[in-house]
Amino acid sequence: MMAWSLDSLSALRSARLTTETDEEIGRYSIEGVIPRAAVRAESAEAVAATLRTAHEHELAVCFFGGRTMTGLGMPPNRHDLAIDLSGLNAVVDYEPNDFTISVGAGKTLAELQRTLAEHGQFVPLDAPQFERATLGGIAAVGRGGLRRTAFGGPRDWLIGMRMARADGQLIKGGGQVVKNVSGYDLPKLFAGSMGTLGAIVEVTLKLRPLPASDRVVAISAPSFEVALAAAGAAAQAAPSLNGCVALSEESAANARALGAELLTDEPTLVLRAVGLESAVAEVLADAVDAARLSGLNQAERTTTAIVETWQAIVDLELETPAEQMRLRLGLRPASLAAAQRLLAERLPQSTRWVAAADSGLLYVDAPLPELEAAVDTIQALRAGMASLGGHLTVESAPTELKRRVDVWGPAGPGERLMRRIKEQFDPAGILSPGRFVGGI
Amino acid sequence: MSMPSPIVRDLIAAIGPDAVVWQPEDLLVYEYDGTIDRGNPDAIALPATTEDVAALIKIANRYDVPITPRGAGTGLSGGALAAKGGIVIGMNRMRRILEIDVANKTALVQPGVVNLDLGLEAERHGLAYAPDPSSQRACTIGGNVAENAGGPHTLAWGTTTNHVLALELVTADGEVQWIGDATRDQPGYDLVGCVVGSEGTVGIVTQVLVRLVPKPNAVRTLLGIYDSVRQASNTVSAIIASGVVPAALEMIDKMTIAAVEPVLNTGFPLDAEAVLLVEVDGPQSQVEAEGATVEAILRQFEPREVRSATDPEEREQLWAGRKGAIGALGQIMPNYYLLDGVVPRTKLPDVLDSVYEIAERYGLPVANMFHAGDGNLHPCLLFDEREPGATERVLDAGGEIMRLCVDAGGAITGEHGVGLEKRDYLPWIFTEADMDTMKSLRAAFGPTENFNPCKIFPKGHGCGEAGHQSAQHQIARFGPKAFV
Repeated sequence: MMAWSLDSLSALRSARLTTETDEEIGRYSIEGVIPRAAVRAESAEAVAATLRTAHEHELAVCFFGGRTMTGLGMPPNRHDLAIDLSGLNAVVDYEPNDFTISVGAGKTLAELQRTLAEHGQFVPLDAPQFERATLGGIAAVGRGGLRRTAFGGPRDWLIGMRMARADGQLIKGGGQVVKNVSGYDLPKLFAGSMGTLGAIVEVTLKLRPLPASDRVVAISAPSFEVALAAAGAAAQAAPSLNGCVALSEESAANARALGAELLTDEPTLVLRAVGLESAVAEVLADAVDAARLSGLNQAERTTTAIVETWQAIVDLELETPAEQMRLRLGLRPASLAAAQRLLAERLPQSTRWVAAADSGLLYVDAPLPELEAAVDTIQALRAGMASLGGHLTVESAPTELKRRVDVWGPAGPGERLMRRIKEQFDPAGILSPGRFVGGI
Repeated sequence: MSMPSPIVRDLIAAIGPDAVVWQPEDLLVYEYDGTIDRGNPDAIALPATTEDVAALIKIANRYDVPITPRGAGTGLSGGALAAKGGIVIGMNRMRRILEIDVANKTALVQPGVVNLDLGLEAERHGLAYAPDPSSQRACTIGGNVAENAGGPHTLAWGTTTNHVLALELVTADGEVQWIGDATRDQPGYDLVGCVVGSEGTVGIVTQVLVRLVPKPNAVRTLLGIYDSVRQASNTVSAIIASGVVPAALEMIDKMTIAAVEPVLNTGFPLDAEAVLLVEVDGPQSQVEAEGATVEAILRQFEPREVRSATDPEEREQLWAGRKGAIGALGQIMPNYYLLDGVVPRTKLPDVLDSVYEIAERYGLPVANMFHAGDGNLHPCLLFDEREPGATERVLDAGGEIMRLCVDAGGAITGEHGVGLEKRDYLPWIFTEADMDTMKSLRAAFGPTENFNPCKIFPKGHGCGEAGHQSAQHQIARFGPKAFV
């Protein structure tokens, strides 16, 4: 590494500097790796200028938003400088009748939804801890949530983006129109790139009108397995469902503790439908009928605290206790039950399960065995999931375990192309080095 | 009869004599696509397998000649034209639907499958393939992937990129690989999102895994006939503001009515100024309620007439005027130039006024048909290419309309692609740095210089002749960076 001094950073205008002597620097630790300095940028230009400096001195940079997902990914190979984007939280452009909005990357999802709700609109994205999670972070992580079958993921709602490249050049992709094929789709490339290609400084999103009616119902089940089977049946019978989630007893209890109103401490099927009142009733009736046929015989409960209840379930994603590891499974919906059986066999002590049956998404927490056994378990499960055409990601785990298993798992045959993209966009390898798939 | 060149002999050796077209008279049909530009390929290769495609790319690389992928040739930006000659790889022989996975709602298809055929096959399983470009009776899924095609029903469901899960891709170095998969959880960069809409400049897609959506239980199509485009536009705004997201929201104007009425017997009054078409779909009760809301709004804006249908055949009849619009334009003039601008939806009425003004100034009849719900307009300039200077006039007017869209905060293409036609306009919306970044993405896909050259990006080595003159005029008038 070339020699560098903090002076080169202090010279930046419109940026707040934290150095390793400040206590606050701990906020920017990743897996215990603390940077030498952190820059809290107040403008896209400040991000670009900071990156230019970092590029010149080959400083390894990691980006921060609401710091809700910093536990995701591999420990960084190097982490010299944190760039905090949470200050970029302005509404840049909003014409409600166009159903589009441009905001700074630091805008939180909750704040955005409040702004949009004033105009009867929303952006169809779920993210854990949405009071802290920023749009830039959500875009960088790039994953659809528990409702991704109904909603898609961030990639599907991002129509434009401004980014700062590794060399500090500001660029953009897409635009401010809902339908646009002008040039390559750079927003898709950056969505889900985990800060390895550049900084996302501004996003433009496509919006939807708030539904006239929105209902969540819960039905208790004798076991998680039965809840999961019922969820699968409900999703098949009512493909217009907006959400279809099975919770284990402990997950239901945890969600309840986080503010989910209608849950009891029992395994539960949670269904959500949105639209006109009559359609919501029709969809839920179809779903509940199917769930009953697959063995649920408790009465269904409904709630008026829809946002809080759903958010509590979404928040479970970040509630794994320190002595456990969290696994995320992505499968074809029809393989979900088989995958769950495989997991249950291998992780008999796991009691915290969350599954979105229509989306083939499953989260499970597993008590940590000693290191070698954990590595073996993950490898065995990964092989099992691969045979089902699915993927296993280690979402959270102690750093020493992360260093032993690639938390992302194999990137598949596209890995060669991914490496080449990284080489093109960040030839010096200074952006979030080593945190992404295949050591990218 | 001419003798085959060495490269043609190699192509024949690789995929057989029936799969290679090289006699000059046989090449004529491949000089055109849906635009008014043309290209002159040296040979056409029609592969039957992924291995064929890989072999063809390797041959082209050996001789260092351009490769232009082609589907049905219905494209509207010159994307399938061999701008620098070389080999056109036509994907029409790879036209099998390989699997419909009902439980997981996906379909695996070859790129030559016709869009409508996939839609019909999905329907047999109670599912639907959402993107439905107006050329869906002819256009192929491979072409749709290349252009990120849209269609009327993308208002509610999104364009092709929202529906492709995985692709088998042969890259410029002739390597075959799958990118993406059925789970949407494959870790890593969104390579599928990069390839969809890349207009055949980074590789050739040989298999496509698409997402299917539930076939709606009920559909209602409504049609309102109005005395002014403004009135119809205000109706569109009121529908959007009501919170209903229609499956489709389409408009045609007076000139289009004049073209379709005599051919399709739509029963549209010839003195009406606009016909608005709205479709709602979903669960039965939702369609009933939303249909009632839409009908009330249609009536609120003083229509001449409102029509409505739920029966498939009657709905088809209501759609006939919109879907058959392009084909009917020949009634008025022998040639048309179809544009594809996109603007923020609220700017649409003002932009339309200016479109009429520009067309009038150039003395060109213009027929407008557009996806009113998402601000995607398709002005069709009508002309007769035999009339001296007419083509140049049309291209100049087209450039001015593109500029208008850009100045309104829009973009130069909503669903047809940049291609050959609009590559010189790209600097109107992107900086050099933006375009360099896009090119670096292209470079990651290997030695792509020969892959559909002269498309998307302005200039390029040896492309001087290929771009039509109009864009150069416009650049001279507005300056290449007038917007940025």
